[in-house]
Amino acid sequence: MYTLTDEMPVDWLPNEWLRAGRRHRKAAVTATSGLLYAAGWSVGHVSGLETVSAAVLVLAAVVGGYDIAKQGYYELRNRTLGIKMLVTLAAVGAVAIGEYWEAAAVVFLFSLGSYLEGRTMRKTRSALQELLELTPDTALVRRDGEVVEVPAREVEEGEVVVVKPGGEIPVDGVVVDGESAVNQAPITGESAPVHKTDGDEVYAATVNQEGALDVRTTGAGSDTTLQRIVRRVEEAQEAKSPTESLVDRFATYYTPAVVVLAVGAFAVTRDAILGLTLLVIGCPGALVIGPPVSVVSAVGNAARNGVLVKGGEHLETAGAIDLVAFDKTGTLTKGETTVTGVEGFGAGVDADEVLRLAAVAEKKSEHHLGGAIVAAARERREHPGKSGTSDVATDGGTVAVASEADGSRSIPDPDEFDVLAGKGVVARLDGREIVVGNRALLDDRGIAVPGPVAAHVRERETRGETAVHVALDGEVVGVVALRDEIREAAPGVVAALHEMGVRTVMLTGDNERTARAVAEEVGIDDYHAGLLPEDKQAAVEAFREEYTVAMVGDGINDAPSLATADVGIAMGAAGTDTAIETADVALMADDLERIPYAIGLSRATRWNVAENVAVAVLTVVLLLAGVLGSVVHLAGGMLVHEGSVLLVILNGMRLLRY
Amino acid sequence: MTETTQLRVMDFDCPTCASTVERAIGSTEGVADVEVHYTTGRVEVTYDERVTGPAAFEQAIENHGYTPQRA
Repeated sequence: MYTLTDEMPVDWLPNEWLRAGRRHRKAAVTATSGLLYAAGWSVGHVSGLETVSAAVLVLAAVVGGYDIAKQGYYELRNRTLGIKMLVTLAAVGAVAIGEYWEAAAVVFLFSLGSYLEGRTMRKTRSALQELLELTPDTALVRRDGEVVEVPAREVEEGEVVVVKPGGEIPVDGVVVDGESAVNQAPITGESAPVHKTDGDEVYAATVNQEGALDVRTTGAGSDTTLQRIVRRVEEAQEAKSPTESLVDRFATYYTPAVVVLAVGAFAVTRDAILGLTLLVIGCPGALVIGPPVSVVSAVGNAARNGVLVKGGEHLETAGAIDLVAFDKTGTLTKGETTVTGVEGFGAGVDADEVLRLAAVAEKKSEHHLGGAIVAAARERREHPGKSGTSDVATDGGTVAVASEADGSRSIPDPDEFDVLAGKGVVARLDGREIVVGNRALLDDRGIAVPGPVAAHVRERETRGETAVHVALDGEVVGVVALRDEIREAAPGVVAALHEMGVRTVMLTGDNERTARAVAEEVGIDDYHAGLLPEDKQAAVEAFREEYTVAMVGDGINDAPSLATADVGIAMGAAGTDTAIETADVALMADDLERIPYAIGLSRATRWNVAENVAVAVLTVVLLLAGVLGSVVHLAGGMLVHEGSVLLVILNGMRLLRY
Repeated sequence: MTETTQLRVMDFDCPTCASTVERAIGSTEGVADVEVHYTTGRVEVTYDERVTGPAAFEQAIENHGYTPQRA
């Protein structure tokens, strides 16, 4: 135990006490005031000692009212006539006319109400802060051949951090050594761990579950993905939703109206208490608190489930969505295109040669189909026995291209090369022309497509594959078929949306037959095929005439369509700031199942806001009528008023557990 | 020199009270800009550090019956 004579700094002790006292002051004051109130009331009722009872009740009002009066005074100094001043006046007025019971009751009820309101709101506010607390305070860093422990926010960019199995990752970075499963739930909301190895990105606050990892830091302290997300979420919570703005605008007229009503009532009846009662219960408490609490809770809930909603506005719009348009590639499908078959049709040109020719032509192309063809050609060269499917992607959704240096030698560069957007490529090698593309490209160049080739292409396309023609010197020599696997979750998600009464549409640049096959497999209502990016935007625009439209995409290639939709939803946004920037709702993971969740949450929020507004309006109307009809008095009015405020807060908080 | 600081008030109990605190801090000498958010409890103040400082903002918050925390 320390005493004041110990060598401790003398001001340490009182300060600490002061702070502790301040923290619990509201609770202590409320409790004391309540006990005195109960005591005063019982003394009056049981023993009939009027004077003692009155003294205890006044004491209750003073104990509970001192802080309220002080805060009311500061409100006045700011030229605001706030509820605290009104309560003070009401209590003083009640004492003045000998209504001690009313005075004590109104002070105690107000004090209890605001204590509970502050406490519950603290819970809502800290829902996000808990996320931030998941980031460890310290990091193990390799410096000068040693591993040293330093505060996590002091780790420099480029430094290598050691993360032990079972430990939280303290920084954003790239794995440079080791292999492990990482639980990314704090960022993406997905509890299934993600496999991480050399070159993969990891995020601060995620949990390394298996092996040790060496991570080269790309961001630390306040410059991490989690910090950025939390900042975004806070901005979203602070932005006013349309309902909030409406209510605020209403309140600016409503409050003066109540004051006029109160003054008028006083002028007519000469009853000061009636006037004050009107002022106190007429405060639009539940009305202005309801909508923001619903929005804050819903946005917080979404954030913890890996869904970043960029404001109450989008939440309210998302609750009205009745059509969801999906981009196909990378959204309904995994975005990992692989070659599934190669067929030779020309004389003396076998499948291997077709693939090699296609790879030469596509080598310089940046199209994802081209990447898959080149990868498959390299694979075949290295493992001639295998069927020709390439490696699948690891994490980012791009096709893994192995051994760049070796591959370059086996597939020569084209001498000339030209991309025709939406159609294919035309290349030249050793004086020969290679055309790789769709039927439109061949028609453009006057290359005839023989019957058997057309039949083969049709057959591939009805299986949901994309077939690419390969022509050499004006003659079709073969067909390469490619496939982008459909996400396992896609059919279930589409069904869930239908269950919610939402129409689903797929937009794709693919041809009609491939699109139909994918649409059928996923169970989607409708599809639009052969679209260029600007066509997709126009399609979304057209849907909007009849529906409230959400567009789901990767947020980068389809940014214009996302911006055009009522609600733009970007998938897999954790690592890409552009996607978060363009979208109204960003899904941190590539997880389609968050879409029905997000729409459901938005609908629940709309309902919740409506319930809160209804409760608030109903309460005020009933109270005003009750007071004017002399049925409700000061204390009773305060009880109902505070009760309604608590009710809307608790109702809003239900969304935290949606 | 102009500085920006952030404080947290977790126990705001009504939106109007947050705006009152905003006005109180805003009328402090040396404060250029202040935002007080009821929903998140975030208080952000831009001020001239030669004239005023976080202690003054904390005092203003306490005067209105709330508990400031350094963020």
